[in-house]
Order: sequence, then C-alpha cells, then structure tokens
Amino acid sequence: MKLPTFLGLAAAAALCALAPAQDKPVVYRNARLWLGGKPPIENGVLVTAGGKILAVGGADTKAPDGATVVDCAGKTITPGLVDASFRAANNNDFNEQGDEITPHVRVLDTLDPDDRSFERARASGVTTVHVMPGTRNVIGGLGCVVKTWGADPKSMVLKEDASLRITMGSEPSQRNMAIRGGQVDSIYYRRPTTRMGVVWEARRAFYDAKEALQKSQGDPGAPPSAGIEVLTRVLKGQLTAVTTARSEQDLRTALRLAAEFGYKTILDDAQDAHVVLDELVATKSTVMLGAPSATVISGSAGGDGADPRSATVALLAQRGVPFVITTGSNLAALDLVREAMFAVRNGLSPTQALDAITVEPAKLLGIDQRTGSLAAGKDADFVVWSSDPLDPSAIAESVHVDGINVLALR
Amino acid sequence: MNMNLLPASLLTWAATCALVATAVAQDVVAVKGGKVLPVGAPAIDDGVVLIENGRIVKLGKASEVEIPWAAKVVDATGKTVMPTWVVAHSQAGQRGFNENMQNVPWLSVADAVDPSAIWFEDCLRNGVGTVHVLAGNQTLLGGLGMVVRPFGRTVEDMAVASNTGMKMSLFAAGGGRLQQIRKLRRALGDLRDYLADFDRRKAEFDKEKAAGAVGADKTWTEEIDRTKKAGVDLVQKKLKGWLYVPSFAEMDEAMRLTQDLDLQLVLGPNMDEAIAMLKRLAKPVVIDETIEYYETDEETQKETKHCPAKLLADAGIPFATSLAVGGPGSYPWWQIGTLMRNGVSRDKAIESLTTVPAKMLGLDAQVGSLAEGKLGNVQILTGDPLAATSWVETVILEGTIVYERKDDPRLQYLFQVEQDKAKKAAGPEQPAGNAPVPPKEGPKADAPKTEQPAGTGNPGEGK
Amino acid sequence: MHRFPPFVFVATGLALAAGLHAQDLVVKAAKVVLAPDSVQSDGAILVRQGKVAFVGAEIPAEARAKATVVDYGDTWLVPGFVLPPNTLGRDRDLAEASLAFTPDLRAVEAFDPWQDELARLPASAVTALLLSPSPRNVAGGIGALVKPGKDGGSVATAETHVALSLTQAARNPERPPTSLMGACDLLRTAFAAAKQGTGGGPDVAVLRQALGGSRRIVIHADLLVELLAALDLAREFGFEPVLVGARDAEKVLPRLVQQKASLVLDPLQPAMRVTQLRLPTRLAEAGVPFCFGGRADQLRLAAVLAVRNGLDRKTALAALTRTPAQMFEQQASVGSLRAGCGADFAVFRGDPLDLGSAHVATFVDGVRVFGDAASPAATPTPATAAGDR
Repeated sequence: MKLPTFLGLAAAAALCALAPAQDKPVVYRNARLWLGGKPPIENGVLVTAGGKILAVGGADTKAPDGATVVDCAGKTITPGLVDASFRAANNNDFNEQGDEITPHVRVLDTLDPDDRSFERARASGVTTVHVMPGTRNVIGGLGCVVKTWGADPKSMVLKEDASLRITMGSEPSQRNMAIRGGQVDSIYYRRPTTRMGVVWEARRAFYDAKEALQKSQGDPGAPPSAGIEVLTRVLKGQLTAVTTARSEQDLRTALRLAAEFGYKTILDDAQDAHVVLDELVATKSTVMLGAPSATVISGSAGGDGADPRSATVALLAQRGVPFVITTGSNLAALDLVREAMFAVRNGLSPTQALDAITVEPAKLLGIDQRTGSLAAGKDADFVVWSSDPLDPSAIAESVHVDGINVLALR
Repeated sequence: MNMNLLPASLLTWAATCALVATAVAQDVVAVKGGKVLPVGAPAIDDGVVLIENGRIVKLGKASEVEIPWAAKVVDATGKTVMPTWVVAHSQAGQRGFNENMQNVPWLSVADAVDPSAIWFEDCLRNGVGTVHVLAGNQTLLGGLGMVVRPFGRTVEDMAVASNTGMKMSLFAAGGGRLQQIRKLRRALGDLRDYLADFDRRKAEFDKEKAAGAVGADKTWTEEIDRTKKAGVDLVQKKLKGWLYVPSFAEMDEAMRLTQDLDLQLVLGPNMDEAIAMLKRLAKPVVIDETIEYYETDEETQKETKHCPAKLLADAGIPFATSLAVGGPGSYPWWQIGTLMRNGVSRDKAIESLTTVPAKMLGLDAQVGSLAEGKLGNVQILTGDPLAATSWVETVILEGTIVYERKDDPRLQYLFQVEQDKAKKAAGPEQPAGNAPVPPKEGPKADAPKTEQPAGTGNPGEGK
Repeated sequence: MHRFPPFVFVATGLALAAGLHAQDLVVKAAKVVLAPDSVQSDGAILVRQGKVAFVGAEIPAEARAKATVVDYGDTWLVPGFVLPPNTLGRDRDLAEASLAFTPDLRAVEAFDPWQDELARLPASAVTALLLSPSPRNVAGGIGALVKPGKDGGSVATAETHVALSLTQAARNPERPPTSLMGACDLLRTAFAAAKQGTGGGPDVAVLRQALGGSRRIVIHADLLVELLAALDLAREFGFEPVLVGARDAEKVLPRLVQQKASLVLDPLQPAMRVTQLRLPTRLAEAGVPFCFGGRADQLRLAAVLAVRNGLDRKTALAALTRTPAQMFEQQASVGSLRAGCGADFAVFRGDPLDLGSAHVATFVDGVRVFGDAASPAATPTPATAAGDR
C-alpha cells in the first residue's frame, strides 16, 4: 500500500493549520472533569490556550471572548496519562552490555521519537512516559521522562536525567559465563553469574561512590568518573533510584541495599509487594506496580519467582503505601488506562486508580508542575474519553499534548 | 443436522466436586429481586426467574410471579441476572487438541475433553454456561465436536449435545497454504470416491439380486467404514463442518467449499477484505478471540488498528465471539468491551456471546437468553455485565447452582490468602478488623464514601 | 597486487616518460565542465605536470602550440568523481576489532597502491577516494585522500577527516560499547576530555584538533536515533558534522540546516521508496550539502536517479565532484578542473547524467588510466596508441 505524496503534503498542511490553532483559546464544556488528586467536577469547564491550561472549574467558569467551544456532554476529561515505567518498542538497544555497572549511560540517547509504541500510547491517552534503560545490567543507567508527542524530538523531553535504574534478581546474570580457560570471544564472559553476584556488583559500585563522596568533602575539585558521579548524586538524594525487583527476595534485597548506603529507592514492577507490606510502610517506599491485569508475568525474566496476586493493589492502598500503576516490562500489559481499570476490578477505588496513572506518577517523576493534573498554568495535556475511562468500552476520543489533539495528526 | 440433545435428567450430580462442595439439585429454584437482562427482551427490574426441573417456567416482575413455597430462593437483590454466555467455538478444555495426524475425521473431542481442565473452572468464574468444544486449528478434518456445560466430573456429565459437526481447517501447519488446500480437497475427494464406490457396489448388488444372480436370502450387510462415517456424513451434508479460515488469503477456497458442504466459517483475525464475500454468503460466522489487531504499512511504517467484527456488524452479518484461554481475552466483559470500543453496539456485542452462538449450535430453543421453556442457565453478577467492577456471583446451570464466588478457591488464592500472609508479616498485634477482604462490589465512582476505605492513606501522600 | 600483463607496463612506462618530459597536454572536447556551474563549449584544458594549468581562452598560444593535443571531439569532459569515505573492501585492515575507540589510527597506513579495487575506480569515472576507517569502530581513525593511477595508486593527502560511527555496525557484543547509549557516552566523554585542556593521549589529541577546526568530523549515522545523537554531539561540542548514511535525514532536516551538517548519502537504487529517492531534492531545496557514497560503480546511477526525482543537474553533478571535495576540504586539489587542481577528469559521449552517454575515458593527474585515446582526428602520441586496450 502506498501513500500518495499529496496525502502526505495534505497532512503536513493540516499540521501547519493546526499548530497556530492551539494559540486560540478553546473551551471544553459539560464534561465530567477528573482533575487528578482532587474530587471530580461534574459538568465542568476546561479552558486551554497556547498549549497551556487557562482555567478549570464548574459550569460558571469564565471563558475568554472568541474562544472555540467544544461540547463534551456525556464525556469525561482526565489529565493526560503518565506511564512511570514504559517499554519503548522500536529497538532493543536499551542495555549497554560492555559493563554491568553503567550508571552514566542515558536512555535518551537511544530513544526514537518515532517509536511506534509512542503512537500506541497516545492512542490510549498516555501523554507522558518514563523510559528507563533495560534490565540487563545491575546498574543500567539514566532514565528520562518524555512526552509521547512533540513538535520536534527536543520538545518531547520533560526531564533528561529522571532516574537511575538498578536491577535485582536473575536478569543481570542471565547468559553470563564464567571464564574457565578457552577463548573469550564475547562480553558475556563476565560477572555476575548469580543473584549474589548481582548484589555484590551493586554494592561495590555504591561503595566506590561513597568513598568518592567522602574524599571529595575536602576537595570539591576532584571529579570522580562519570559513573561514580551519577551514583554520588543518588547518595546525596539528588537523583531518584528505581530498583526493579519482582520477587519477595529481590524486594527485600533492594530495600536492604538502599538502607546500607542510605539512599531512597522506588521499587519497580514489585509484583510481590503484598508480602513485604510492613517493610514498605517502614521504609516509606514507593511502589511501581506493573500490569495489575496480569496473573502471569511474561517478559524478559518472567516473574523471576514472583507470585502476582490480584489483591496487591488494594493492599498497597489500604496500608497507605504510595504507589503508581505502570505497564512495566510485562509483554502482556494492556493499555495503561485498562491496567487502572483492572486495579479497580481488583478492589482499588476509581479515584485512586486514576490518580495512580496521572498525578501520582507525575509527582513521583518530579514533573507535576508541568503535567499529570488539570489546573491553570499546567501544560494542556488531557484526554477526552467517550465515557468513564474505567469503563471497558471507553475510548480516548481526543488526546491533547500541549493543547494539540495528537489523534488528529495521523 | 442430527444433533443429540442429552436430557438433563441423565446427569448425575456429584455430592462433592472439585469446585463447589455443596451443589445440590433443586427441583424448583427462584432467582429473585435482581435486575433481569433476558437478552432480546426488555430488562425487568426486581424480576424473578423461576426454574423448574431445569427449565425456566416463569419470567417476570416479582410482583407478578408467584414463587412456590418449596422453591429454593436465590436472592439477587441489587444484582444483575442474565443468561450464561454461550461460546460457539473453543479448542480449550482438552488434553491435546491438535492431533498429529491431520486427517482424522473419525475422532471425537468427547475422548479429549478434560473435566478437570482449569478452562472449565474459568468458564464458570466468567459466567459461561455452554461451550462448543472442537479440535484445534492445526488440523485438516479434525473429528467431531461436542457441546458441554463446564461442570461435571465426567464427559458424560458435561455433555449437552454431541455430534455437533466436523472440525475442518485451512490453517497451513508445516506445509504451505496451497498444500493445505490441496490436502483438504484430496481428503474430501477420497470420501466422495469411497461413497460413490460404496453406492455403486450396493446398486450392483441390488441389480444382481433383482436379476436373481444372488440368492434372495442374501441382503446387503456392508456398512460405511467406521473411520469414514463422519466424513461421508460431511460430504453428504448430513453433518455440519466447522471450517477455520485463518486469513483472507484462504477465503476463496472457503467460499468454494461452502457450495458443496454445510459449513460454519470460523474466521481468523485478518479478515477486513473478506467482508463483501461474507455478505454474499449471508450466514453467521464465528470470529476468533483476537478481536482487534495492528498492521504496519510497509511504505509509511504507519500502524493501523483493524477490527473485522465492526465491519461484520456494519454489513449486517451476525457473528459469534470466541474467548481466549487466560488473560483478559478470557473475560466475556472484556471481549464485549473490546467490540464496543471498536464501534460495535452493546446489543450486537452481547448477542455475539448469547443468542447468535446458540442459534449457530441449533440450541436457540435451549440457551442464549432467558425465556420460558429454555434451560435454566442463569448467571448472577454484582453489577452490569459489562462493568469491569462486576463479578459473577452465582452460576446456575439447568436449575442447579454450580458456582458461587464466595467458595471459589482460585479467587480466594488471589484475594484472600494475602490476608493471612499480610497478617503474618504484620505480626500478631495487628487488629484483625484491618485485614483486607476481596472486593464485594466495585466501588462506585460517584460514591465518595467507598473511595477511601478505613485506614487508607492517599497513595503518594508524604512523598 | 598487480597482475597487469607485461605490455601494460611498457605502456605505463612510456606514458610516465611523456609526463616526465614535462610535455604539456591540451585536451579538447565539445563541452568542458570545469565545475558544475562553469561549462565551456568547444573548450580545452592545458595539463602541465599532472595539474590543470590553464583553461579555455586562458591557455597561452605559445604553450598550446608546443603541447600535445588530444581532441575528444563531440564529448563532455567533466571533473573526475570523488568517492567519499570508503574502506574500499578492506575492512580487515581498516576496522580495528579489538577496540572501539581508535581515533588516532591512520587509514593511510593501510593503503595499498596496488589494490585491485583501487585500479577499478577509473572505470567508474572515480579519480579520488577518501579512504576511511570502517564504521565498525565508534572512533575509527583518520582518513586519507588517495588516487588511483596507472603505475599504482598515490596518496594525495595523508590525513583528512576523523571518522566516527554510531551505526549498528559500531556496536557489537564482542567489546564495549554494545549499545547506542554506550557509544554516545564514549564519544561524549572523549570530546569533553578533548575540550577540557591539553591532557589525554594521542587519541584525545586527534579529537582536539578536530574540534579546533583543523579536520572535519565525519559520523556514520543511519537511523533517526543515530542522527539525533550525532547532531546532539555536534551541538554540544560545536562542530559542523559530516553525516554518512543518513537514511532518516528527512526527519531531521531543520536541524541539518541549523547545524550546517553535510551528508554522504547511501547510493540511490531504482527499487527504493519514493521518499528516499526524493531526499536529494529535498536536501538541495533546504540547502544541505550532500554527496553520494557507497560503491564507485553506483555513483552515476545515484545521481541520475536523483535527477529523475527532481534534483537539478548542476547539483547532481556537484554531488559527484565538487561537493565531496569541499565537504572534506580537498577542493584545492580535486573535484573541479580549475587551474591548479589535479588534472583528474572523465570523458563522456554526452551528458554524464544521461545513462545513455558512453564513458569514453578517465584521466588521473593528466594520465589516461581508463578508456580510449582521443578520436582519430587528433594526433595520437605513441604512448596512447600503445595503451589502447
């Protein structure tokens, strides 16, 4: 099938026509507004202009003169969804396997703005994603937060160094081989080859960082290596550590390591969180819960010994453990909004479920000033749903990034 | 079609069974107080479904239906009552559904159905009451199918109708597409040749007998070969064929086959272009569990989503929806939601798992909707059947309660075992009242009271 | 590797002798393309000691009288084609497998003047080549400008650009880096070190020279992510990159313009998508300099296909000649027939951008290395007569 060029040109022309249109105020009336972190407004009004939200409120909210009015009767508007653990699809180049400790490599360098997973994400109402390096290394590198659409690749980036990914469990040691004579012809002849080895590598790296930090107290000039520098930022609390740990054993290890070196970590894809609730409460840890729809984990390492339970999400809420819902590394994950829907099916309240895919991940990633909720001054990132977004038949009718309906751009 | 309906009275209910410990047959059962969605008829608020000897004898408003004093009353107040789902085509629930030999028309799934399969357990959990089990798609002439209820200790217990048709497939396993088409043509040709030869020999015998060459005391005793009987029935149109058509590429052959055989088409996902052909065929079809799929344009690298079911609905072709094994696709509400997201109306979507498959199976007088005279197959849900928060609370098959959510061991594992583990982790001083319970009902979005269960902090607070 | 039959040596020797005698050569043709925007009808060039000494009317009558005249009649005389970064099939010598970061290796040290591939270049009208380390290394090394010749190839410029690579080829599981992230990090760290001061080894020194502007930085990058990474590096460290491959160039067009990048495109093929075939036109409209890389025998077809898809002929011809010369800062010696440049040219029986125009001959440094002698009308020198094949 060939797309005639004139069509492409027409699309480009439409884009040009659309781009200035965002500067004009647009008023969305009569919708049910989920603000994110606040009670919803029935029959609400949302006003946007210039890619920002001008006003949010009840039916009596004043709209500027000359604004385009969009009637959203029967529809629901939510903030653009935020996926705090997103798997980009276009290439598999998310692991720098030259070393098992690569804190300083940046996933942003390999992120394809044309990645087809962005398009799918947009179609399902996701406007912001947190992308991390892969889970092949013990310390994988720096994650970034990007919008799923931008007029150019640069404008997609919300946060360049958003997190440091650490991986516990069997993944970093998979395929590695011990050197026992013979020809060493690949980088897979290396440590670690066991779970113990994984932790040892992480511990050694943080130990080096701690030492560098102590040494530099008197001499701020001496720059440590790039990797150590990143780790010292984690130790100083300037950079968020995200530890991927699925099984109970790995979750406890992740918390132990964090306590040992005195940093805070988010626990990513914490399928066994239901077993370590007390530890999570005690350490005030935040959990990224991957794909609550799944009762079986598929993906690079499978469940890694984890035993996912439907009750987990409600238990986290009941125990007051802060959490967000993500699609994570599970290959069978559904669209983010459907994962929230399954969380509700499994006992979470609708408000908590929607917050867990909007304002909570935005806060967690430190981008809540820009997006994740509907409030005056924030980016006009929002979704108009055909009905309650937690209804299985709901579709995203329009998805707006910086005020532009990205579904109309196709 | 010679389908054998097995009377419910043949069934012997076990006193104990794997799933429900206390399933006791009741002569009269009244499901009372719920919102009844009969399918194909208007909803009845505060309705009653009265089942006697396995069949619905009365359906109406609570104020209008008299409930006999001896009836077991199932209180469905505040819940939704509707017929159990009907699945027109499934290869699950068997041990080994793809026979290594492809051309095996003499086999029957009755020998493969595994009453202890998790799939049947899932069926009840999801409110499925009738399943047509057939051989897998990797076959040629795969043998006979049967309709079962997902409950019982033996295949005989489960059987609803046998001899429901022959599984046929155009799916090219191993060889190429043309190879598969050729093999199927040859297999059918062999059956026709055999039948012609049989008829010829019989005619000769009759002729010789008439001429006196054969003794008058001799009669024609030869019967159709046991291994060929079902195949012969198929080519004689005495038996229905369930033909799996994996993609549009096989549609031409499928259309050709429909001219000579009584076929029910089972469609793979990639069928967008086949709609015009199917419209000409003017017969209901089965779509497999992949309701929507993505295709990437090679030139533009643009990905587009496709949903042939929507095109079928627009073309006015009735269709039955399949369920997946495990995952969201195994939930009827998810499949119906997916259809609706793609623009299929709610009614059509519901019909695709009730009345359409019932009619396809020739069971429309028995199952698929709630009506007087039909089998008492009823599911009681906590809410609207399409809401994600709704759970199947009770399943009644032919007047017998066969599933109750409160006794479901799998859901207990997923929801309640945690309670103990959490308690253990929390230590003995943890107040028992704080232990989590499985959700009884989806909290309503407009009821802020249920949104923050007691003792729950807002997630994210304190960050 | 030389497998020339003995008589060729004789011919070579004679030609060489003619050159050594400092005999001037006047080459005439119906059209002489000095540069794509400077064409003479019934033109001529005077070749002295392998270089273009005078063109057209500037040729002094006295010199013209003394010179041997070669008249190619109704033909076009165009500058020889310049083939941009290429290992000329010598990956074994030009891809240092053990290390990813070897910017201080010199391609000239792997140059074999008797290489068959080099000897075959004139058959495709190619007269100069930027021999370059393989894109299999993240930092491969320093390129060289080399020429084919009848008596073996020669080195025109020993050190030209520094070749870097972010393509899939540069990342492999046998040594770090294995990923684009790792490759970016490696280059970013190295450039930062180069910028910081005078430290670092000879490898960092090479990058420092490049950042100082004394050599072009050439980055192999095909896909959008690779192009973005290369452009990010260029912006961060303030250089104007030459990007090789650049399949997804259209997607970053505004940035290519903004950052004054130049492109070496993969050769166009008839079976390519229309969008790819139109890429040269789009680049020309946007003012991004580009030339064609890949195999020598595909250069002309690439330019013809670009013309068929909307590119103007001048730019297309420039993309084969002057643009690559400028891109690698070799325009003083190759890429055009202005006075002072090497007498490297090709003769076609018509416009070289029509595939119907037969390729008649190729000269390198004023010596015919491929094809026929002048038409019978001219007085053949014994050397050229003997050199006929």
